[in-house]
Amino acid sequence: MQNATMTVFTILLTIGIYWISLKIYLKIKNPLLTPLLLSTTAIILILLFSGITFEQYKPGKAIMTFLLGPATVGLALPLYLNRQLLRRMFLPILIGIACGSLSTLTTAVVLAQLSGLDTLLVTSIATKSITAPIAIDISRIIGGDPAIAVAFVIFTGTLGSMIGASFLSLCKISNPVARGLAMGVTSHGQGTATILQEGQLQGAMAGVAMALSAVFISFIAPFYIPWLLH
Amino acid sequence: MLLWVIYSLSTLIVNYFHIPLPGSVLGMIILFTLLCAGIIKEQWLSTAVNPLLKHLAFFFIPIAVELMQWGDLFINKGYLLFLPLVVSTLVALLATGGVVQALSKRDQKIEE
Repeated sequence: MQNATMTVFTILLTIGIYWISLKIYLKIKNPLLTPLLLSTTAIILILLFSGITFEQYKPGKAIMTFLLGPATVGLALPLYLNRQLLRRMFLPILIGIACGSLSTLTTAVVLAQLSGLDTLLVTSIATKSITAPIAIDISRIIGGDPAIAVAFVIFTGTLGSMIGASFLSLCKISNPVARGLAMGVTSHGQGTATILQEGQLQGAMAGVAMALSAVFISFIAPFYIPWLLH
Repeated sequence: MLLWVIYSLSTLIVNYFHIPLPGSVLGMIILFTLLCAGIIKEQWLSTAVNPLLKHLAFFFIPIAVELMQWGDLFINKGYLLFLPLVVSTLVALLATGGVVQALSKRDQKIEE
C-alpha cells in the first residue's frame, strides 16, 4: 500500500474500532471492557495479523493525537465548575491528594526497583496513577516510555475501578468526599467514572483529585524520581 | 481554538525557559486562572471541551498501540510488574481516603 493510503487506512481503522468498542462498553459497562483497552487490543491484533508494522502506523498516530494537548488543557473546566467545593474543603483535599500521590508513586517505584526491573520500566511506572495525557508528557520528561506509561495507567485505572470502592468500604472509609478523592487520586478517569455511580459529590471530588494529583505529580516528579532512583 | 492557542503558548513557554513541566499542565493552570479571573467565560469553552473530554480515551489508543513493539518485555517481565502495581494502588486508596476522612472528622468536631 502507498504511504498516504496506509495512513488514511490506519486512521479509519482506529476510529472505527473505537466506535465499536464504545458501543460494546455502553451496553455491557464492565470495567474490563473500557473502549481504550478493547480498542488497543483489537488494533494491535489486527496490525499483527495483517503484517502492518508500527512504523507504518506512526504517521496516522501523529495526526490522531494532535488534539490531545488542547483537550488536556480543557480539564481545567471541570475543575473550575467545582471551585466552590474546592474552596470549602481546600486543606483536606490538598493534604489528602499530596499524601495519596506521594505514597502511591513511592511504593510503585521502590517495589519495581526491588523486583529488579529495568530503569525504563521503573520510570514509566511512576506516572501510573495519573490521567493518561499528563502521564505521557511526564514520562517523556523523566525518561520513561509514553506507551509503557499508558499501559500502566490503564492497568491501574482498571484495577482501581474494579476493587477500589469495595476496598474503601473494607477499610471503613465511608465519607463521600474521602471516597471520591481516593478514587480520583488512584485511578484517574476510570476511577472517577466508577465512583460517580455512588453520587455527584463523590464524582466531583474524584474529578478534582484527578486534575490536582496530575498537577502535583508533574511538579515533583522531575526532581523526586531521579532522587528515588539513585 | 482557544484551547489550542493556550496549549501552544504554554508549550512554547515551557520549551523556551526549559521548565520541566508538561505544556498541557501549564496550559491547564493558565486556563483555570483565566476562568477564575473572569477573563475567559465558561460558555465559550463548553461546546469544545465537552466532546473532547468525552472522547479523551480515543487519543490514547494510537499511543497505546505502540505497545506492540514491547510485547516481549511484557511477556518476560509482566509478572514482576504485578506486585508494585497492585500494592501501590491499595496504598493510594488507603492513604487518600484515610487522611481525608480523619481530617474531615476533626473539622466537624471543631464546628460542633
